[in-house]
Amino acid sequence: MRGALVSLVLVLATAAMGQQSVSIIHDRIERAQPGDSLSIAAGVYQGNLEIRKPVSLEAQGLVVIDGMGKGTIIDVLAERVTVRGFRIRGSGDSVTGEDAGIRVLAGGAIIEGNTIEDVLFGIDLRESPGSVVRGNTVSGKDLEAGRRGDGIRLWWSHDTMVQGNVVRNSRDMVFWYSENLRIEQNRVTGSRYGLHFMYSHDTVLRENELEGNSVGIYLMYSNSIRLEGNRMRNNRGPSGYGIGLKDCDDIAIVGNALLANRVGVYIDNSPSAMDSTGLFEGNMIAFNEVGVLATPNTHDNVFTANAFVENEEPVATHGRGELHLNQWARDGVGNYWSQYAGFDLDGDGIGDVDYEPQSLFGQMLASEPNLRLFMHSPAQQAIEFTARALPELRPRPVLADPAPLARPPAIEVAMSGARGSGKWMALASLGLLVPSALIVALLGRDRAFAPASTGGGL
Amino acid sequence: MSAQAISVALPRPSIPPTLLGGTWSFARREFRDAMSSRWFVLYTVAFTVLAVGVSFLSLSGSGSHGFAGFGRTAAGLLNLIMLVVPLMALTAGAGAIAGERERGTLMYLLAQPVSRSQILIGKYVGLAVALTCSLCAGFGVSAGVLAWRAGGVGVRSFVVLVGLTILLALAMLSVGVLISVLSRRSSVAVGISLFVWLALVFLSDLGLMAGSLIFKLRVQEIFALAALNPLQSFKMGVIVSMNASLDVLGPVGAYASHVLGDAMPWVLAGSILVWVTLPLTAAMVIFARRKSI
Repeated sequence: MRGALVSLVLVLATAAMGQQSVSIIHDRIERAQPGDSLSIAAGVYQGNLEIRKPVSLEAQGLVVIDGMGKGTIIDVLAERVTVRGFRIRGSGDSVTGEDAGIRVLAGGAIIEGNTIEDVLFGIDLRESPGSVVRGNTVSGKDLEAGRRGDGIRLWWSHDTMVQGNVVRNSRDMVFWYSENLRIEQNRVTGSRYGLHFMYSHDTVLRENELEGNSVGIYLMYSNSIRLEGNRMRNNRGPSGYGIGLKDCDDIAIVGNALLANRVGVYIDNSPSAMDSTGLFEGNMIAFNEVGVLATPNTHDNVFTANAFVENEEPVATHGRGELHLNQWARDGVGNYWSQYAGFDLDGDGIGDVDYEPQSLFGQMLASEPNLRLFMHSPAQQAIEFTARALPELRPRPVLADPAPLARPPAIEVAMSGARGSGKWMALASLGLLVPSALIVALLGRDRAFAPASTGGGL
Repeated sequence: MSAQAISVALPRPSIPPTLLGGTWSFARREFRDAMSSRWFVLYTVAFTVLAVGVSFLSLSGSGSHGFAGFGRTAAGLLNLIMLVVPLMALTAGAGAIAGERERGTLMYLLAQPVSRSQILIGKYVGLAVALTCSLCAGFGVSAGVLAWRAGGVGVRSFVVLVGLTILLALAMLSVGVLISVLSRRSSVAVGISLFVWLALVFLSDLGLMAGSLIFKLRVQEIFALAALNPLQSFKMGVIVSMNASLDVLGPVGAYASHVLGDAMPWVLAGSILVWVTLPLTAAMVIFARRKSI
């Protein structure tokens, strides 16, 4: 509705203002001094814009730059350029040309508050250190997943801030060879990888929201990264992970929420170097099919004060194996497991029995993934029951938490739209109860089976 | 005399002895019998108590966090439904004909001016309405608990769950009625229906698991074989309605989602519908062809 209104306004505005070429903007840049701030009047400007001077372009009202489906729409070739408040649409779709909404090839750029739509790549920073990408909205072309470009891409752009951007229907928000970034409060939905790190080290990711992607945050070959207060929800598909770690050292994952993903955290050979560790502290890992899935060689991760709530399998290995080379408690503080069946007699908040999950069905799944089809069925319960009854069938536990928490740690999870109103559910309740009560009252009345007039009663 | 005068002169039966009327009388009688049957009331109460219990339990973990909604409850309800509902419907259907036959009342029914298939359909409809009411009571109370504790998340999935459960009950009722038509005594019918229950709930799944391991079945074969079982179709249908995809169920589910796409819910519901119609048709044909009682 709102989108339709915006497009209507856009069409009307276009008709009213007429269309002009971007050469008007080119001419103004030509006349400007380096460092000048140019405010661009409302209107639709068609063509591809190149900025070769360090100027600041500010949109006054609704300023549309329309690439007309050809090439990259705005090319920033000079340092310290600002592009603020534009509506940028219609790049080409050449994969080899990597057509983008805004491509930045110099450092110190500020790309702020733009709305970029119908583009292959959204914002593409190449060797642009010290830039700021803030408050932009990017939605990709309507292409199948394999043909899409990245919503936001950084390539060798250290010390950059990426904050408060919204990316929809794109491939990744991806960071290549870029260090010391600040990635905050971005929101990525309906894309492949929400935040994707390749060989990018020493970065903090804070309070990003990643929903309905294939993977929420995928870190690959990237070290010393801290994830704090991010929310990953409903990231699904054949390789759906909330967080994926591939060959990453010294990762700290603290206070994040991983909800209803296929796999909450996928750990593939991380940490890989000697003397490095991975830390998982105070995360809410809830309602995932698998809470933590790890390759069997995984070692030296520390899990403490996390809440594992109602995951179908709390912890599983990829293939056979166990995860005893990781620490499931630190300084006497383990994790909360909603499946924990032990007790806390002395009331110190720590369960008196180790938590050692043993699931025969889980073990069967590890070697025969096809059997997952029989999840949620009574047959699964029958198998688990058999394993409990016959100790020789009982599998070895995949982990041992020596200090399981008796109560879930207080972890604040703010999710938008998670509750909804109970009105419709109450209505469903009434809609079921009232008609069935009526039917029982009407049909169940004690009346002769056959009407007396026919004389054939039983 | 005018036509109007004739119609006034003749006494008008309150239920016309037409095809529909005859069937309807049998349906009402069956409904009342079911409502006054101790077993049926027991099943209803058990189902309601368990459904409410599962709703409460599944909310106790999530209620404090407030973002679970219905999805988790449904997973808990699934196991309960797959155990209780087929048992309820199979045994209800199993008593339908065999019980009357054993008590000797079937003779009186057949003496009524209605056809044999009308009797059967009447009995089926009566039991179906009774089962539906019983399930709606359980779900209704459970929905009330959810509305009170969890808010309105997942109403659509809930409605799909109720619909598929009723469809599953109708399918199992058909099977029960077929068993009943084939059995001389009601104890035999109930025995056979218990075995069928065991086979559908446990043996077929366990057998398919073993088969897929031993014969290295391919994913499409596993899916096709699993979808033959109305309980598996029901389960997959509920999960599809919650997640829009079956990737929850591993490679087989992902394959099915990929191949069937949006048609998936209809394929699964169709598989259950086949279980509603085929056994009932078979029962009708066999019952109508029987010369003896």
